Amino acid sequence: MKVEDVFSSKGKVRIMRILSEIGELNISDIARRARLNYTTTNEHLQMLEKAGLIKHKSFGRIRIYRFNEESAKAKAVKDLMEVWEQEDNGAYPERV
Amino acid sequence: MPYASVFKDEAKLDINYTPSKLQHRDSQMKLLNQYFRHATETPGKMTQRVIIIGKVGTGKTVLAQHLGRNIMREAHKRNINLHYIHVNCRQKKGSFFLILQQIVTQFHPTFPKRGYSAEELLQVLMQILDEQNIYLIVTLDELELLIQNEGSDPLYKLSRIEEDRSKAFRRFSLICILRELSWLDKLDESTRSTLQSNIIQLDAYTQMQLQDILNDRVALAFKQGTISSETITLAAELGEEEGGNARYAIELLWRAGKYADTEEAKEVLPEHVRKAAGNVYAGIRRDEITALDFHTKLFLLGIARRFQQTGGVHLSMGEAEEAYAIACEEFDEKPRGHTQLWKYTQELSSFGVIKAELSAGGQRGKTTLIGLPRIAAVDLEKELNKALQHAKRRYAQ
Repeated sequence: MKVEDVFSSKGKVRIMRILSEIGELNISDIARRARLNYTTTNEHLQMLEKAGLIKHKSFGRIRIYRFNEESAKAKAVKDLMEVWEQEDNGAYPERV
Repeated sequence: MPYASVFKDEAKLDINYTPSKLQHRDSQMKLLNQYFRHATETPGKMTQRVIIIGKVGTGKTVLAQHLGRNIMREAHKRNINLHYIHVNCRQKKGSFFLILQQIVTQFHPTFPKRGYSAEELLQVLMQILDEQNIYLIVTLDELELLIQNEGSDPLYKLSRIEEDRSKAFRRFSLICILRELSWLDKLDESTRSTLQSNIIQLDAYTQMQLQDILNDRVALAFKQGTISSETITLAAELGEEEGGNARYAIELLWRAGKYADTEEAKEVLPEHVRKAAGNVYAGIRRDEITALDFHTKLFLLGIARRFQQTGGVHLSMGEAEEAYAIACEEFDEKPRGHTQLWKYTQELSSFGVIKAELSAGGQRGKTTLIGLPRIAAVDLEKELNKALQHAKRRYAQ
């Protein structure tokens, strides 16, 4: 998947932001927080997983998603999300 | 000069505080350590099930927590991934599902709250233990509530969980805390037999033992010179009279300290303890009342008020329901139905707050008669009012 395919989708970005904030979550919870429906969320998650950015773990019927720590790409995206949020929350001084 | 409190650190008298030194429970502690030696010496080879029995305030909880603390320290030194989790079944409303959920969320804090059964959750737990190579000791405190609510089933599953996994490492050990051994009679034969092998019995503390315990706490909680040995002796004496109940004796001291503070006294006197004894009821804890759900509190409030009005020995279920409806109105709540109230009655009766019995003859038909044998209705009302106001504030936020 190309980088623009990931970042041009509001839904995908939102999902990654949520996962970087919370750590790990199941689909329904992600959908609720991202204000997306279940099917769309599921599609986004599958594409992100295909791109190697996230991975899931199954507990019986329950699937829990998180960032794929083994991927440098995923780590970079996660860092981006965190830095972005921190700056917006005023954790870093504004650069002039 | 402004008044300075007699307390140095009130929190040390709190019911949830675990003292670092355990007094007069050496032999039981040794035995418990012995039972769990394998957990750090040969992890995965076997699991353990232990039952701790003792009356209120005899140190059951603290004993288990000490084991947890010591064994985690030891495991850490040896690089063993061992966890100790203490669950209070009352706080989890006696629900197996909620108990398991508390355990699972220790490992996966955002694990979904809904959408699966207790059995699935148990499987999830075992999967987590296997995948992350975790050994686990779970204490089920106030197990009565789980047995009462769900019978044998949960304990049967817990005690057999390792047997379905014949080849795997053994990861799950269980400590059960009960007030009376007779609760086990409610379990089916096979569950009982797997649980019953290791029993640690805690006897009531004597006055001298209570005195030692109190001295320890006083040194942590009160400023030096604010409490005399006489005062402590009296609290120990009263604690012994209440069935060797250390928790009661500690709460007495806390309340006595509070009285001393309100009077701006420099010292906690025996008189303050006496005053406190009139107000602390041994069988019921403050946190038991706070843990009740909102409507159970309202129901109990209705009962407490009606008893003050009638001054009688019993209330009929009908009278209690009426009183509850009035309390609901006051708090702007829609009253729950009869069946739910009947459940509340059973619940409260099992805690020993009220006594519910079936009316025998004399009256037409049958009704449940409610008695309030252990607490003064006035005190109960005061305690409930406080708890309800607090709950309502939280509710409103």
